[in-house]
Amino acid sequence: MKKVSCIFIVDDDPITVFGIKKMLKSVASCEDIQIFQNGHEAHEAIKERLKEGKIIPEVIFLDINMPIMDGWGFLDELISLDIKEHITINMITSSIDPLDYKKWNGFKNRCPYVLNFKNKPIFKIVANDLGCMDIAS
Amino acid sequence: MKAVKRVDQFYLLKQLPKATALLCKKGILLDASCSWLDIFGLPPQDETTKTRVSSLYSEIPDLKRRLKENKSFSLRHKIKNTDGTRHLKSYFAPWFDEKENVIGTIIQTDDITSEVLKEQQVDWLNNILETKVEVSKTGWWEFNVQTEALTWCKETKRIHQVPDCFEPTTIEAFNFFKPGYSQNKVSMLFHKAIASNQSYNTKLMIITFNGEERWVRITGKPFVKEGKVIKVFGTIRDIHDQEIAEARVKEHQQLLSTLVDSLPLNVYVKDLESRKVLVNKGECNHLGKKVEELIGKTDFELYEEKDAQISREEDIEVMKNLTPIIGKETVSTLNGKTTHFLTSKIPHFDLEGKVCGLIGMSLDITAMKRKQEELCNLINITSMQNQKLISFAHIVSHNLRSHSANFSMLLGFLNSEKDPQERKRIIDMLTQASDNLLETLGNLNQVVDINTKTSETKKPLNLRNNIVKVLENFSALLDKDDSQIINNVEKDIEVSCIPAYLDSIILNLVSNAVKYKSPNRTLLITINAVKSNEGVLLSISDNGMGIDLDKYRDKIFGMYKTFHNRKDAKGFGLYLVKNQIEAMGGSITVQSEVDKGTTFNVYFNEES
Repeated sequence: MKKVSCIFIVDDDPITVFGIKKMLKSVASCEDIQIFQNGHEAHEAIKERLKEGKIIPEVIFLDINMPIMDGWGFLDELISLDIKEHITINMITSSIDPLDYKKWNGFKNRCPYVLNFKNKPIFKIVANDLGCMDIAS
Repeated sequence: MKAVKRVDQFYLLKQLPKATALLCKKGILLDASCSWLDIFGLPPQDETTKTRVSSLYSEIPDLKRRLKENKSFSLRHKIKNTDGTRHLKSYFAPWFDEKENVIGTIIQTDDITSEVLKEQQVDWLNNILETKVEVSKTGWWEFNVQTEALTWCKETKRIHQVPDCFEPTTIEAFNFFKPGYSQNKVSMLFHKAIASNQSYNTKLMIITFNGEERWVRITGKPFVKEGKVIKVFGTIRDIHDQEIAEARVKEHQQLLSTLVDSLPLNVYVKDLESRKVLVNKGECNHLGKKVEELIGKTDFELYEEKDAQISREEDIEVMKNLTPIIGKETVSTLNGKTTHFLTSKIPHFDLEGKVCGLIGMSLDITAMKRKQEELCNLINITSMQNQKLISFAHIVSHNLRSHSANFSMLLGFLNSEKDPQERKRIIDMLTQASDNLLETLGNLNQVVDINTKTSETKKPLNLRNNIVKVLENFSALLDKDDSQIINNVEKDIEVSCIPAYLDSIILNLVSNAVKYKSPNRTLLITINAVKSNEGVLLSISDNGMGIDLDKYRDKIFGMYKTFHNRKDAKGFGLYLVKNQIEAMGGSITVQSEVDKGTTFNVYFNEES
């Protein structure tokens, strides 16, 4: 059981959010799990936390297709915040559009954080998704 | 007695009017008439003078020998003195006594200076004539009416290619002309010349002695004496080479003008001042004017100032730099009609190689241009449809995948879940996922319907009545909070539309305005319609929240794109509206400002 200080789940689909939360239960213990409907809300929350000096989420589960601000828009904003702490971001999408994969590759190169790409459906959250090297594998 | 007789005899001799002299057998001058002495410039003769005749005829060296032959002869000679040269002719005859014995020679001398001069002049004139004939290649002929003798000069014979010794008869001369027109014509003209004293000058064809057909120009002029034609004089000149060259030039001109006129091009030649000096039929047709109306005109007199100026600048460029313009696309406007041309202008040089204007050729490519535009439009439409198809395919795959992914995940949970409470939650979720999937399928079906059932017929629909009908659905909703809808659409405006689509478009746009109304303002929706030549424009404006188009312009009509945090926003209404209006050949645009309002403009295409 890995201990994580704070996790953000950014997804407008309640079923996916339910699934992620359920899977997290078995692999991580976290006091502070926050749910956001879109990138804009999550971005605002991080800015708020930075301002108030609260802890920054260690792990973010990020959907791509969302209203108002999509996953890519959120990533852009996050990178520009220039946060020093270590963050692991898992992009979760049902898209099999090769354009999305290409875009992810582009972001991976300029993103200072760990950026994973996970295609739905997800059945399990592994240690790697929580920012630990999976020593066993 | 003897002496007197002698004196008498010689005295008589002195007086003879014709210059006469007597020589003894030895060739010594015995005596002579004063006129003879005068010719030779001698003093009166007596026994003492002993003038030798050979000294007087120094030009003739064998005179002595000829005198001894005792035969008559004559010779010409000259005497030069200060007055010039005198030409003389002397007759020498033996002098007999009563017994027919030769006792000397009698000389009679005539001054023939004027005759000689005349002869020289005739020679000179003949020479001139000969030279003229040679240089001009004009032969002459002469016909004596009385003797019917025909004379040809050397050149005339040469033209007929007969030997110099050939002497033609009139019939033979006629036979040299080509049978048919030429022969008939020449006989007729010749006859008229003799019968009615008419000159002639014409061009006919002869067949020479060697069988060559050649063009000649012949003239004839009758000479009249005492009211009767006694002679016909004429000339003949070989004009075959010129005639052939001329014919060839004419042929070339004919070919060239036919070519230039029948080319599917507008051809014109301009001088250095850009005045037209030649135009072909195409150019005349294009300008709707006759050749005479165009020659000497510049473009400034034919086209609008602006077009003419461009053309003149091109002309100057071509004539100054001698670089041709090849295949440049140009546009000319004439009487409001625009024509596209592929224009070439090349410098025109005179025979000395100096530029003297330009040759222009314009190919009318208006029809091609129009086809090209149509093709471009078609390509645009096709690529747009292709784009739509690809994005629809992605939408389908994405949306269906996301549901199926949810199913897989939830079913995975269900397999391993023991807790009955949790299992119930998962099953609720599965039900929700199933509902979502059904809804998505329903939406997709609607879109597919729009794009496949384009054959559904458009009907003319009264716009105002349809709007009123749709707005009734909102009445309960609107009464609640003083919201207001102003319908400015005039009663008589009709649009050609599929009824269900028109309802859907109005319903979606109005409900959009209701959904995204500003929390701070009472909702005001204004509906306007304008009819123009292109069709009807329907505008639905609100004073609601608005949308940041800088961010979302690309996505606003996208499927499942929402921009505000509203639970009932599905991101499907505008996508549906756009598909419906485009399926009917129309279009939709949006203007919006955040916290001010939004206007949707719907263009209905009136073509069916």
